Amino acid sequence: MSFDVETRSSETVVVRMGEALDFRNADDFKEAFQEHVEDGVRNFILDFSETEVLDSTGLGSIFSLYREISPDDGKVAFAEVSRPVQVVVQLTRTYKVFRQFPTVEEAEEALA
Amino acid sequence: MSEHVILIVEDDSTVRELLKYRLGKHYSVLTATNGEEALEKIEEQIPDLIISDIMMPEMDGFTLQSTLQSDKNTRVIPFIFLTARADEPAREEGARTGVDDYITKPFDMEQLLSRVERLLERVDMYQSQLDAEIGRDFSNRLLPDHVPDVEGYDFRFFSEARKQGGGDLFDWTETHEDTYFLTIGDVMGKGLQAKFYAFSFLSYVRGTLHTLLEESTSPATVMSEINGMLFDDEVLDDTFASFLLMHWDPHSHTLTYANAGHCRPVIVGPDTSRIAEHSDLILGLEADASFSDVTLDMTPDMALLAYTDGLMELPTPTGDFLGEDGVGAAAAEAHGSDDPIEALHEAALSKSAEEDFQDDLLTVWLRRLGPDENGD
Repeated sequence: MSFDVETRSSETVVVRMGEALDFRNADDFKEAFQEHVEDGVRNFILDFSETEVLDSTGLGSIFSLYREISPDDGKVAFAEVSRPVQVVVQLTRTYKVFRQFPTVEEAEEALA
Repeated sequence: MSEHVILIVEDDSTVRELLKYRLGKHYSVLTATNGEEALEKIEEQIPDLIISDIMMPEMDGFTLQSTLQSDKNTRVIPFIFLTARADEPAREEGARTGVDDYITKPFDMEQLLSRVERLLERVDMYQSQLDAEIGRDFSNRLLPDHVPDVEGYDFRFFSEARKQGGGDLFDWTETHEDTYFLTIGDVMGKGLQAKFYAFSFLSYVRGTLHTLLEESTSPATVMSEINGMLFDDEVLDDTFASFLLMHWDPHSHTLTYANAGHCRPVIVGPDTSRIAEHSDLILGLEADASFSDVTLDMTPDMALLAYTDGLMELPTPTGDFLGEDGVGAAAAEAHGSDDPIEALHEAALSKSAEEDFQDDLLTVWLRRLGPDENGD
């Protein structure tokens, strides 16, 4: 499965995370963001509105993204976080690192 | 499982296209017209099986097969020769190693398909048995073979690896002051890769823990060191793990813990339970993350339950996970049982929609004996 990535500016993209990010497609997600990281994108807004499944491999791939862009002051923001995603974020205390926003637009404003 | 890839090497375009058409219904098919071309294709992608003609221009099938035999990366690829009647003497002359089958042209397509299927099944079966064996081996190395027998306490752990499992780990170390340091963790990811990282990671932790404990028995201090290790070491780059470190002092009946994004432990009394609330960021995400210690008093008959996500992520009939609250409720039911871990698992399953656990299970139960119990 490929990820729908929308370019909002030279620095910012929105990634539609789809129904699931787990051990089956985590590598696809890595591939998808890698391309944009190489193009100089530093802000990633992840749209979780449809996401029913986020397992530890999936979360790990988001961590990889963060590790890659954070030295350059890059940001990963979560938008429209669904309940299953919220549970994982709470458990791992990663809300301390990934700011959450009710909508993609609000995330965009905050990161601009 | 991903689709098998079959490489067809045949110079006769009619035979090649026929094979491509029939095999293409079940497998992903690559083609080459001679041995040279086949080697180029293999360079790009290693197929799961090769079907090759013998007589071909540029490089014949025998040379191709010998070349593949001499490389350890390609030696194990199942190999079927398609032979014309005229090749029979040559074939009998040199009994070749590493050839899985000969099929004589004109061949029966159904027979060829069934041989291909059988060969691939055999390969898959071998591979999955090997994976399971290595997985079990890693799992066993990630766990101690016993826990310390300490007066006044009932200390037990249970672990079971599943096919879909990942990198659960548990270990304990005795300090110079007759206290204990317990490590429970889960390295992110699934399957063999996670087990491998968990194994490497635990080796690091074991290796450094003794040195670290000389300086401090604060779990938070040790946690910061381990977190730093994940940033300094290239092998562990991109490794993330939830960790629960506990310093247990059976003399003062205290238990001090630091939690890096791990399932929060449950404090269990007769018929009651509550979650040990405090938790910090998971390991491997921020180099300068800070961790803090929380100390619990182990009162008589109080138990502490620590576990990994296989238990918490048990699906419930409503489609949710069992969750921390569900685990807490199951733990309260299990308190007082002769085999509290078994009772806990049964209680958890009875609240779930499942017959059995799908993920790895790792459960640690530490209970201070009650006033009426004999400390032996």
